[in-house]
Amino acid sequence: MPFLSMKKIWKYYQLGETRIAALRGVDLDLEEGEFVAVWGPSGCGKSTLCNLMGMIDTPSSGELQFLGREGVSLTDDEKSELRNHSIGFVFQSFNLIPVLSALENVMLPLQIKGTSSTIARKKAEESLEEMDLGEHIHHRPHKLSGGQQQRVAIARALVNDPMIVIADEPTANLDSENARRIIDLMRTMNGRKNTTFVFSTHDRRLLDRVKRQIHLQDGVIVEDRMLADEAS
Amino acid sequence: MITWMKIAIRNIVKNRRRSLFTILAIAVGYAAVNVFGGFTEYIFKSLQDSFIYAQGNGHLTIFKKGFLAQGKLDPFQFMLSEAETELIRELCRKDPRVMVVTPQLMITGLISNGSVSTIFVGVGRVPSDLTFVRSRATGMIGRLKLYEGRNLVDEVPHGVGLSAGLAKKLDLHQGSEAIAMSPTIHGQINALDMQVFQVFHSPYEELDDKLLMAPLDFAQSLYDTTSADRITVLLTEDRSTLPVKEHFERIFADAGLDVELMTWKDLSIFYVKVKDMFDIIFLFIFVIVFVIVVMSVVNTVSMAIMERTQEIGTLRALGLKRRGIVKLFAIESSVLGLIGSLVGIVFTFVGWGLVKVIEPSWIPPNIPYRVPLEVHLVPGYMAVSFVFLILLSVLSAILPARKAALKGIVDALGHV
Ligand SMILES: Nc1ncnc2c1ncn2[C@@H]1O[C@H](COP(=O)(O)OP(=O)(O)OP(=O)(O)O)[C@@H](O)[C@H]1O
Ligand SMILES: [Mg+2]
Repeated sequence: MPFLSMKKIWKYYQLGETRIAALRGVDLDLEEGEFVAVWGPSGCGKSTLCNLMGMIDTPSSGELQFLGREGVSLTDDEKSELRNHSIGFVFQSFNLIPVLSALENVMLPLQIKGTSSTIARKKAEESLEEMDLGEHIHHRPHKLSGGQQQRVAIARALVNDPMIVIADEPTANLDSENARRIIDLMRTMNGRKNTTFVFSTHDRRLLDRVKRQIHLQDGVIVEDRMLADEAS
Repeated sequence: MITWMKIAIRNIVKNRRRSLFTILAIAVGYAAVNVFGGFTEYIFKSLQDSFIYAQGNGHLTIFKKGFLAQGKLDPFQFMLSEAETELIRELCRKDPRVMVVTPQLMITGLISNGSVSTIFVGVGRVPSDLTFVRSRATGMIGRLKLYEGRNLVDEVPHGVGLSAGLAKKLDLHQGSEAIAMSPTIHGQINALDMQVFQVFHSPYEELDDKLLMAPLDFAQSLYDTTSADRITVLLTEDRSTLPVKEHFERIFADAGLDVELMTWKDLSIFYVKVKDMFDIIFLFIFVIVFVIVVMSVVNTVSMAIMERTQEIGTLRALGLKRRGIVKLFAIESSVLGLIGSLVGIVFTFVGWGLVKVIEPSWIPPNIPYRVPLEVHLVPGYMAVSFVFLILLSVLSAILPARKAALKGIVDALGHV
């Protein structure tokens, strides 16, 4: 049973006089525990697709269902709650709140949900521990390296036990070694928690450990390939 | 909640320069309103005390009905007889809120130094009552010296006071003898000798060359009457004025007395006019402060929002609702408003303290000599402006924050 399903999704952007079709009739189902890479050249629509899956943008046409609920029928507040409870985000530029420590950043999704501070703190500590950031929990983001910041972001994305973590180019601002490490870490968490991960990249070298590759070109899925599940 | 507070405070500290200017704008606004408010309060209180205590008009004045409307032309028609005065005095004294009940009689006539004469407008008072009323004045008015010379006394009815201008005009000094002339209520001309006991300053400059103050006995002898034209009532507390007035109106009516009562405010036209004027000036200052505070908070919040658009997008992606974003910035500006108002309280105390230390003096309108200028601390104003400025800060943040919250999340995140 897919928990996320997209049917004939189109997304247009209006740029002055011209209308750009960023996605052109995308069909896509995601199931629990998948580890998916969306790849393709710059401008092919990876970010657009990630934003739609993450419920932070709306398609121009087509159907999008998340956990059986029709995307277009949800109010902004309902979508916010859905994101808070079921979707984790990892961004290209990490997007940690600069005035909050690593721990406080990770606590955020729980506090938005209304979890008590004590519980939020405990869960956030565990989540950071899993990312091997035990010593850095009280550091502000600017005191952390890019790789460390992105691990904090992953801890934050996972702290609420979401259905899915969406990472749009999570490695674009990292060197190849750290990029590797981030993808491996996500893969490990995918194996451990069965959380679905979708990340986008234009770096083909990062595709070797994924379970599924979605190849986008000009807003169309040109290839959707399941790979033999390799044990982690 | 604590998290949002943390974000707010840390951002305020992070942008300390900008925050400082906003806080200063709020603080200066707060102090401007409260120091000026404290100054107007001093003016109002001084005018009130001057009218009630220094001029001895008391809180309430009782007239024969019709005196104020028609009595100008024919005052003798509207006098309070000795019996009525006694009855009123008795009724008033039963009320514990009443301190003094004292009759007065206005007189007019000619005053002569033996060689030249001029007109005077005078009032007959019971000297001991007047002295007592004046002794109840507090603050600046209580410390004012109201005349040069001796006090008028009950025992010497011919010892009178003249306003400085009148004394000068007739070349009269303390101890000089003079003659007052006037028709009695029966229409005969009467003349009485008097001695100048004191020279005082008229509370109204235009009247400074006309005023005479005499013991009531003197005024009544001159008019050949035992009546009075008004009765002044001094209360223990200013704020009892209206309730006592209403109470007296009832008991006087029950006693069959045909009288009307006026409060000190009804009679002190000058007070009401000055108060109206200062209220308008206060409104101006208030509007200016309002605009400055709104502009600086809107500016600060708008800048913060612009710099933190990506942060807003991130928080929204993490599931914070639109009103959560508004709340975040509302908290931030309420903290600015709070600190600004607290600093404003400090500024107000500094302003108040400076005035206390420097002791500036000035010549206010309608007072012919220098008096100390004061600024009162008015807890009511301070509390109201405290709450108001914080609310205003929050409201000024809500508009720009709402706009930011309505923005698309992807746009906010900064589409690449
Ligand atoms: N807000 C926008 N306004 C106008 N055009 C847009 C907007 N966002 C995306 N596009 C266009 O839509 C197309 C797809 O963009 P998208 O960002 O999804 O591609 P991408 O695969 O993520 O590219 P990149 O690898 O550069 O991040 C591009 O042609 C882009 O120029
Ligand atoms: Mg992109």
